[in-house]
Amino acid sequence: MSEAPASFGAVSDRWGREQVLALAPDAASVKAAGGVAKPAKWHGAGCDPHSVWGECKGSGKSLYQACVELAEPAFRCSCPSRKIPCKHVLGLLLLWSEGAVDAAEPPEWVAEWLRQRRERAAKRKAASAAKTPDPKTAERREQRVEDGVAELDQWLRDQIDQGLAQAEHASYRVWDEVARRLVDAQAPGLAAQVRSLPALRHGAGWPERMLEEYALLALLVRAYQRRAELPGPLRATVRSRVGFTARQEEVLGGKRVRDHWYVLGSRESVQEQLTTRRTWLRGVRTGRPALVLSFAAPGRPPEVPLATGAVFDAELAFYPGAQPLRALVAEEHGPVSAVPRGTAIGGLLAEYAQALARDPWLERWPAVLEGVRLALPQGTPLRPDALHVVDDHGDALPLRFSAGEESRHGPWRLLALSGGGRFTLAGEWSPHGLHPLSAWHEQEGLVVL
Amino acid sequence: MSTWAEHVSTALLGTRRRPVPALAVRLAPEDDGESAPRSSHGGAGGIPAGADPAGALLEQAAVLTVQRRAGRRAGSAAEHAVIAPAPAETLPVVPPAAARRLAQILAGDRLPLLPQWLQAAAERGFRVPPALLPDLLERGRADRSLRPAIMRAAGRRGVWLALHNTDWAYLVNEGGDLGDDDPRVWRTGTRSRRIAYLTRLRGRDPGAARRALADSWRSEPAPDRAAFLATFARGLSPDDEEFLEKALDDRAKDVRQVAADLLAELPGSAYGRRMAERAKSCVRVEEHVAEGRRHVRIVVELPHAHDEGMARDGIPFHPAGSFAPAGGSGAPVGTRAGWLREILARTPLETWTDLLGMPACEVVRLPVTGPEAKTGRRRGKAGAKDDSWARDVHIGWVRAALRLRDAQWARALLADGAVPAEEAAALADLVGLLPAGEREPMAAALIRRLGDASWALTALERIPGPWAGELADLVIELLVAAAQEEERRRGGRAGHRLAPLCKLAGTHLAPEVAPRLAALGLPDSWPVQELIDSLRFRHQMLRELA
Repeated sequence: MSEAPASFGAVSDRWGREQVLALAPDAASVKAAGGVAKPAKWHGAGCDPHSVWGECKGSGKSLYQACVELAEPAFRCSCPSRKIPCKHVLGLLLLWSEGAVDAAEPPEWVAEWLRQRRERAAKRKAASAAKTPDPKTAERREQRVEDGVAELDQWLRDQIDQGLAQAEHASYRVWDEVARRLVDAQAPGLAAQVRSLPALRHGAGWPERMLEEYALLALLVRAYQRRAELPGPLRATVRSRVGFTARQEEVLGGKRVRDHWYVLGSRESVQEQLTTRRTWLRGVRTGRPALVLSFAAPGRPPEVPLATGAVFDAELAFYPGAQPLRALVAEEHGPVSAVPRGTAIGGLLAEYAQALARDPWLERWPAVLEGVRLALPQGTPLRPDALHVVDDHGDALPLRFSAGEESRHGPWRLLALSGGGRFTLAGEWSPHGLHPLSAWHEQEGLVVL
Repeated sequence: MSTWAEHVSTALLGTRRRPVPALAVRLAPEDDGESAPRSSHGGAGGIPAGADPAGALLEQAAVLTVQRRAGRRAGSAAEHAVIAPAPAETLPVVPPAAARRLAQILAGDRLPLLPQWLQAAAERGFRVPPALLPDLLERGRADRSLRPAIMRAAGRRGVWLALHNTDWAYLVNEGGDLGDDDPRVWRTGTRSRRIAYLTRLRGRDPGAARRALADSWRSEPAPDRAAFLATFARGLSPDDEEFLEKALDDRAKDVRQVAADLLAELPGSAYGRRMAERAKSCVRVEEHVAEGRRHVRIVVELPHAHDEGMARDGIPFHPAGSFAPAGGSGAPVGTRAGWLREILARTPLETWTDLLGMPACEVVRLPVTGPEAKTGRRRGKAGAKDDSWARDVHIGWVRAALRLRDAQWARALLADGAVPAEEAAALADLVGLLPAGEREPMAAALIRRLGDASWALTALERIPGPWAGELADLVIELLVAAAQEEERRRGGRAGHRLAPLCKLAGTHLAPEVAPRLAALGLPDSWPVQELIDSLRFRHQMLRELA
């Protein structure tokens, strides 16, 4: 076949359709946006490298002015909808993504809005620069965390002393109360970990999983109490897991790694209305793993996701730690064309073991497995939850697809793409198994799972 | 019990009830520099006196947890069966832009255009990208009408995938070329695999397929017999007649009906001769000479009774569908008239051309009357010119022409038939029997003749796109008329004619017509916008597949 498949790095400066739709606050908006994304509905639509704008005919005689500032991104529309972004903005972006919006000079109402935004941003920057952290505040927090950690230490021991069996039917309030006190003690990282504990009580083997998490939490408590003796990077790991976040400016000011970053894919998790998107990257040249987190609170504009399967040249700034993983995209130099490299199954497990040696609390790890094939345990009929990958070295790993209507076709897409042949699989590895995110086949190209 | 399991059970019961298990921790070498977690309570001797047992258990469990996670081993490939590769594809995959558009359509944006996309891709010798197959096959599961188009565009990978998921088995049944032609499939396969096998065998060697079915016929359950027999539509020939005749006496009604329908399509059969006899007993030809000219007319006498022979040959006592007493604007049809229509629909059309010694185009122009003796048999319309006789006969002929795919009769009936507007759907289907060049003018003429807007829409719905030439001219005319009507009644009920017409035109008009539509200056309402957007979308869609 001479036709090149939809290849890695085949991204333009414009966002892809999936990226635009990922901004939608809900499924109804996706549907509504499709109805608005028609050239006939728009007047005076235009774009320049920084913004997109247009006027959309609403119902009746109303005319809505919608515009988007692409860098942030920021959205504005004169329609009465309270959704951010609204369907008009989404529709406009869809048209723009299809290349149906031509370059133009921004009209006055767009220029005015952009000017206002710039002014506000400058003011905010000046205000935050003026604000230097108060050493006393920092000291107070250290003390509070110290106390909170001591309390957690005692609580964990009490739980083990009494036995975890009683936890099986205990109310969620038991953990919530502990978590609440940790929030008060300004240790949000610990609070979140405690809050996730009661959910482990389901299914076979729950005591095992529960003990693992209690033990790792106790280990974190001990490490925090002895933080003065720890080497710098490990101390940073411990502090961040307890809940001290490094300031973005500090991270961006630190050392940067430039590489061609391959986007493996992303997963979302929701905790207390805050949606966290984990996007996994791998440096094509350095092989370095990276994790970009983005957060979306209700009513706040979300960030544009990195397109799965894309490769972009960028400098990443890593948060400090013994096993640096979380990073910020400090500077982007544009899309490149490259093919991801992967390891065999044994390579992944060895790499993960080494990472655990640096950061024993590490859970998830970006995996790229090369030259694997789909397989089933001998004598098992084909079911999505029975799928494994095997490599040429005689190793096998089970795949874990998430449940839910939306990802129902994930296993079948992977099967269809592979056609029983070799492929490259990108996924999120954790002690619970390999969660596929995307796959790449030499002839058939990329599929997002 | 493993050390870890001992720790778990101790933790479950509580360290106040159970001693902390011993753990021999192999500490990392001092110079390692990395910080492997280590227990201060290591060694074989349990915990030092005075230390807190719960804390000790947690520390030991942490060491074990990290050890277990870091030491996780892969499973053995030898214990797994690799999924067998799909057969190599013979067609190239669609270009990337077309693949993106298909993904968009499958996600629900302009889903009604899916068949057109599939057809265009198949015609140009492309196949669907494998990653989109699951979504596509899922659509076909819900909508049967998509299946033939899916079949043609899904490539060999599509059938391969369907073999792995029973939800998509229909693709295998549609006669995919992948299923193996191993005769064992016929003896031991599932019902759908057996149908696929038989269908393929009918294509290759109809006689062998018939013999295979005959061998197991008596032991097959009734629904399977009907489904297997239906595969005879492929490669149907006089050799099948004997078998089909026997099937007319089958215990199962479905089997009898399939057999009768197949026999009605078989030229020169005894079934056809029986049907022709029945037809000729109802439809007579009368000739007389008046004013020095020869006049030929057709005289109809409705069947008087429904005998066993009629039942055996698949004429139901209560004719179904439009043969039954019609509601709405259609005239009520009596049971006897229904029988007549069914008989004519199953009678070989050459019966009439032979009987009258004239071609179809002349036959359909002959006057049709009822028996002289009885007048006003229906609706009490005594004395009035009763064209219901002609209707019954012509509707029967329309059905026969559709069944036998006879272009000459289709042409004749469309040009001069006395078929009522209620049969708009059947008439539109007749258009499809004509050679490509004749279809558009004939369709345009049909729509004009139907006159009434709702029957015109019914017919238009069944005329495959893309509409161009005279048909496109006519549709634009209708659009303008509907838009003007809408203008006049502004403020009243809007869009009751324009909207459905726009919707239909959007999916069926040839995309090249778009500039003409734009130049018309139709009112700027949403159905018109939708129409123009739809044409634009299809234009891009086809360009991507070029």
